[in-house]
Amino acid sequence: MKFKKALAMVLAGAMALSLAACGGNGSSESTDDNQAKADSGELSVSIWDSYQEPGIKEILADFTEKTGIKTKLTVVKWDEYWTMLEAGAQGGSLPDVFWMHSNESERYMSNGMLLDLTDKIAESDTIDPENYPEDIWGLYTYEDKYYAVPKDVDTIALWYNKTLFDEAGLAYPTADWTWDDVTEAAKKLTKEDGSQYGLAMRNDNNQEGYYNMVFDNGGYIISDDKTKSGWDDPKTIEAMETLEGWIQDGLMPSLETMSENSVDVLFQSGKVAMVCQGSWMLPAYKSNEYTSENCDVVELPKNATTGRRASVYNGLGWAASANGKNTENAWKLIEYLGSKEAQEKQAELGVTMSAYKGTSDAWTKSADFNLQAYLNMMDDMEIRPYSRSTVTWENEDSELLKSVYTGEKSMADACKEMAAQMNDKLEEEAQ
Amino acid sequence: MDKKRKLAGTSRERSEFLWGWLFILPTMAGLIILNLIPIFQTIYQSFFKTGDFGRGNIFVGLDNYVKVFGNKEVWQALINTLKYAIVEVPFSIAIALVLAVLLNRKMRGRSVYRTIIFLPMVAAPAAVAMVWRWLFNSDFGLINNLFHIHVKWISDPKIAVFSIAVIGVWSILGYNMVLFLSGLQEIPHDYYEAAEIDGATGVKSFFYITVPLLSPTIFFVLVTRVISSLQVFDLIYMVIDKTNPALEKTQSLVYLFYKYAFINKNMGYGATIVVLLLVLTMILTVFQMIGQKKWVFYN
Repeated sequence: MKFKKALAMVLAGAMALSLAACGGNGSSESTDDNQAKADSGELSVSIWDSYQEPGIKEILADFTEKTGIKTKLTVVKWDEYWTMLEAGAQGGSLPDVFWMHSNESERYMSNGMLLDLTDKIAESDTIDPENYPEDIWGLYTYEDKYYAVPKDVDTIALWYNKTLFDEAGLAYPTADWTWDDVTEAAKKLTKEDGSQYGLAMRNDNNQEGYYNMVFDNGGYIISDDKTKSGWDDPKTIEAMETLEGWIQDGLMPSLETMSENSVDVLFQSGKVAMVCQGSWMLPAYKSNEYTSENCDVVELPKNATTGRRASVYNGLGWAASANGKNTENAWKLIEYLGSKEAQEKQAELGVTMSAYKGTSDAWTKSADFNLQAYLNMMDDMEIRPYSRSTVTWENEDSELLKSVYTGEKSMADACKEMAAQMNDKLEEEAQ
Repeated sequence: MDKKRKLAGTSRERSEFLWGWLFILPTMAGLIILNLIPIFQTIYQSFFKTGDFGRGNIFVGLDNYVKVFGNKEVWQALINTLKYAIVEVPFSIAIALVLAVLLNRKMRGRSVYRTIIFLPMVAAPAAVAMVWRWLFNSDFGLINNLFHIHVKWISDPKIAVFSIAVIGVWSILGYNMVLFLSGLQEIPHDYYEAAEIDGATGVKSFFYITVPLLSPTIFFVLVTRVISSLQVFDLIYMVIDKTNPALEKTQSLVYLFYKYAFINKNMGYGATIVVLLLVLTMILTVFQMIGQKKWVFYN
């Protein structure tokens, strides 16, 4: 009896503890098969956007045809992508070639996880840094060394539902619109019974949403030396109060609705008349019957006082694992993906705008929308605010913003809290 | 004297001893490598400010613990976890017990019912969560549209955690029921016959025969359910979006662990949260072990 009890104890304990096991080991199994592929000479390629998958697949097939090197593409959702990569980096089994993002790049570069491409780029005939935007290189440069080749560049523009505008008897948005015009139109497009709203911008729509308004108004998110948050800057707060106005006037669906259904789904189902979206959403809107028929896109509005129309922009990079088995082939693939030919193809297929200068015209012809708007947004661009621990403060920012949506706090108070927490994290970063 | 003989043993005893250990070796090895060693690594990690990719850890003593205990988010998560457990455990046991008794009788279509109730157990938790997420959707969900109500099942901070618990109960019912069924089949039929002759009704024999004789099984289910309900993660992760205003009032300790360890890449802090959960689980389990003397009958 005693023994039985003791055994039950141990078993119960073991069950409780098996959870703790995750803490140490993470999900390192998931990347095991990457290693297996490396042995057979096949390059493993990882990305997170399933909308881009068909286009990327086609480009990879071209590469295989040219060089005979086989590739295996895996798509992992954004959230899990970084968990997978983290475990892979820790366990020494990163994919051979993968997407890098400005949120995370510095951590990976400074820890020697990414293959140093500096010499290879210098020797290469196809990759000339001159041909890509300098800021994008900046995201993937650490101590004057290149760790990724720019894949794309993205800007933000305003999508609107033509049918809903027609029904309300309103003129379509133009490039001359200000944010105030958006507010006015949204008021007329919102129906009292909650069946239709003027616009939608969620608490986590930073890059494609309120960051742009902040820059338009002369505010900032993070100081250039990455030591201070700009959330408590009066200009920033003023810009964010436009958003607060939309919330208070009920021009947007409730946060509950937006979180349960997501902004782009609400737009794609005609529940919302306007939404700010990045150029990376094109494949989604193009393939959706409703949006391709009823919707179009236009440049972001200007700020009425400053007259500025800025677009936050960002660009992904193709990076390779520093300790992969096939670094030579991995470089060949990255070199191909960065080449004018592949970048042009990416634009033509409408996957995204390409980083290679002058290839984006092909992209504007890839669908029946006014995609020129996205190109025009390139006239005044601000790089997506980042630091070493972007994810940490950015997530906390959107967490704090929720309280404005639910009406618990005023925007000014929330912004001050956001600044405080961000400054704490930046200080920790500097240590 | 007695002890001495045991130590020396006959050659038969020795060979039984050797073979016995040999047979449990695979299980033991798995337990040690996959559970015990990581447990100690986790506890060890909780004393460190972990560097990127597990390198450059700095020893910080009890710093993480001080921060965890001072973090309102952690206490809220603890409350959420307990709320979830308080709904999930009793309901999943009580309903499963009643179902097991009903389905233990001879009746038409018995195995069909059993299969239907067990099915959720076979479905992937992620798929289950996605289906329920749509059922619960406040604008387009089936439940709200069917009853013409507008309840924000999964985004109202007051009720979201209970909605999650409902999913938890639903998905575990079948498993509990099967365990109870196997326990019920161990109970000799004579007892019921004797009780019937003595004039006991069905309800009486349920409380005076079924429940006491099934108590070892109930106890086992109780202990394992409490432990795994404290570890709830996948349902919350799948159903509650990051932007959901109810997240703060629904996230469990394990969810918080995931957030700190894997999203914010602060392994040391995450490890500390898990150690807290471990201690909590152990305390609860010890109390249950003590409490069982009062109501569990081993015959």
